Amino acid sequence: MEGATIAPSLLEGGNVVGSLKQARTAFVTAPVGRLMSLLLLLLVIYVIFVLLTKIFDRGGGYFLQILTFGVANGAIYALVALGYTMVYGIIELINFAHGDLFTLGGFISLFLLPFVGADESKAGTAAIILPLIIVFLATMAICGAINVTIERVAYRPLRHAPRVAPLITAIGMSFILEGLMFLWKGPFNLHYPNLLPAASFTLGEATIHVKDIFVIVIAVILMIVLTLFVGRSTLGRAMRATAQDQDATELMGIDINRTIAATFFIGAVLAGAGGTIFGLYYNTVVFDLGFSAGLFAFTAAVFGGIGNIQGAALGGLLIGIIIAFSDGYFESAWTQVVIFAILILVLVFRPTGLLGMRVPEK
Amino acid sequence: MQRRWYTAGAIIAGLSIVAGACGAAPGGGGGASGDTSKGEIIIASNQPTSGGDASDGLPAQNGIQFAVESKGSIKGFKLTFKGWDDTVNGTHDPQKGAQNIQEMISDTKILGMIGPNNSNVARAQIPIANRANFAMISAANTNECLTQTFDYCEKETGTTPAKLRPNGTNNYFRIAAADTFQGPAMADYAYDTLKFTKIAIWSDNETFGKGVADKFSQEFTKKGGQVVARQDFDTKVTNDWKPFLTDAKNKGAQGVYAGATSGTKICIPRAQMKGILDVPYMVPDGGVNAQCIKDAADNAANMYGTVAAADANQNPDAKATIDAFKARFSKKEDVGSYTFPALDCANILIDAIGRAIDANGGKLPTREQVVKAVSETKNFKGTTGTYTFDKNGDPTSPTMAIFQAKSGDWAFVKQFSVGG
Repeated sequence: MEGATIAPSLLEGGNVVGSLKQARTAFVTAPVGRLMSLLLLLLVIYVIFVLLTKIFDRGGGYFLQILTFGVANGAIYALVALGYTMVYGIIELINFAHGDLFTLGGFISLFLLPFVGADESKAGTAAIILPLIIVFLATMAICGAINVTIERVAYRPLRHAPRVAPLITAIGMSFILEGLMFLWKGPFNLHYPNLLPAASFTLGEATIHVKDIFVIVIAVILMIVLTLFVGRSTLGRAMRATAQDQDATELMGIDINRTIAATFFIGAVLAGAGGTIFGLYYNTVVFDLGFSAGLFAFTAAVFGGIGNIQGAALGGLLIGIIIAFSDGYFESAWTQVVIFAILILVLVFRPTGLLGMRVPEK
Repeated sequence: MQRRWYTAGAIIAGLSIVAGACGAAPGGGGGASGDTSKGEIIIASNQPTSGGDASDGLPAQNGIQFAVESKGSIKGFKLTFKGWDDTVNGTHDPQKGAQNIQEMISDTKILGMIGPNNSNVARAQIPIANRANFAMISAANTNECLTQTFDYCEKETGTTPAKLRPNGTNNYFRIAAADTFQGPAMADYAYDTLKFTKIAIWSDNETFGKGVADKFSQEFTKKGGQVVARQDFDTKVTNDWKPFLTDAKNKGAQGVYAGATSGTKICIPRAQMKGILDVPYMVPDGGVNAQCIKDAADNAANMYGTVAAADANQNPDAKATIDAFKARFSKKEDVGSYTFPALDCANILIDAIGRAIDANGGKLPTREQVVKAVSETKNFKGTTGTYTFDKNGDPTSPTMAIFQAKSGDWAFVKQFSVGG
């Protein structure tokens, strides 16, 4: 379904929203379509009913526990999804290398931790706060610089080339980053030091760990800062203008190269932070992590409405929660089926995603 | 869109395969002297001796090399060791294994080989070796479908023992216990010794992992235990096991069994159990290694694992051999759980070649004669047990060993004979 949504706009730059609306209207109004919609609706009601019974059976404490894990996991997907959505919003490029940049964030912070003296002996003490902040900022800056370089080398020269060309260079960058991380650390799961406090508190019957809170709080702070930045700052305004109409923006005297580079920088900063949070939360990173994380994050971006910052955050959270609920209440083997079934359903009835697309207008 | 991701995955896989072809490792010289007037016989080995599997493959190759070198000669023939590596870009590769066995067959001095380490490599090698009547003895292959016919073999592995042996005679032997024993062995240990009645199980949804998990589950339920939670994960996209672990905790699981390998994150959930579900963790032989201890991080204690071969250290008669081996290969990482089983395989092959030479009137035997002699192996006393092969090529009384993770390493708990 996402293929149908994105591909025409990539190849022809056509009015995707309009044509999809037409297709959907035709689908929904046809007699067969109406019957299918009814069946779908019944299926959805049935699934919700089963879920509610299960939630009721297992009690509120368990529900809260699973929800916490889902939100923490989803917050990480959301940070990655923001990078996809920002880049797509401004130049309509699916930046395949973005998931690997997220992994690279984990690798770089893992590499930096010993230099600032952050080891497991200090886990959970006040002495870990400053080193962690330094590692966070350094990782974010390095990831940002790498992504700006990637944009300069692999995407900018192709900005006016046919749409598939930058798509292929993006896939190429993804392989290059994965290959470099493979050469750097090998094929194994790497242990990431467990630095966060192990403390927890009980809320009803659920046990909430400081780790869970940490992930959610950092992700929310970053998202608020991003929203404020894009909404209030001059550069943010330039970004929105570039997203709307590149030529007019350039005529107004805005350097669009700089604006696009800044978008890549901010996307990578969030991915770098996401990679570091992932490492601190799960205490492991592996070179090909970006493949699956990127897949889910991109799905999250489409889910929430590509190009839409709040949409990406919402999409990430929802995907995290769906995974946790599927693992906690149903069969894990079905998790991906459930995610993509929900995605297809949402896109059939809301082709622009939950909160609507924001992409350049042609 | 999804298809594009799969395409991307396929390209990665393709690149990885192209990236790292490796040549044959040179054999070591030296060893005992003896009458070598009649010529040379080469004993080949096929192990993953570089990349991620080298921690299993090199120790096994050392055992084979040691056996050949210490024997030196047999009935007038000089014995030489030659090792092949089946690693491509960091992991064992069936294609590379197939190529290796072709090379071995083309050298007429090679009368048999010890290996491989991995069941999927064996699946690629057995048919090629079978057409050439070339003897193979493996110390570590555990997939039951390599030797035994079950109705699910065709579906799950794409082949059957009969299809793997196109010329109709068996040329493949092993001394490891098949996977049919691994899950039940741990289930018995969990129920009888650890006194668990409620268990949570997860698997990586792959042939090996799901297979051992299912067999664990069947045996545990048969004994009267209860499987309170069961999940099959796609480990490529799963990072978070906490919802499953919480579910297991709420249902009162006293232990968790994982059907997976180090390549499918077997001990990553162990680290996540800390603070959620503080109960023992049980793994098959795919987790009894250093990577698992590393992945489990600060929660590595209280893990149990099965290995499909006996521990030579428990055999007092093997002490002299072990000491001699350690004098020749002194580093800690030179020895692994399959070193002495591999050494035994090499000695079984050499013993069979000796009998084949006798049967051929003291002349160089044919490969058919060697295969026949191996199949006639009776009560061969090795460092890890006494071996007789059944008609399928399996040992008549394979051994299963249980290990426990203690202070950063796997410590022997007990071993017992299975089957028979």
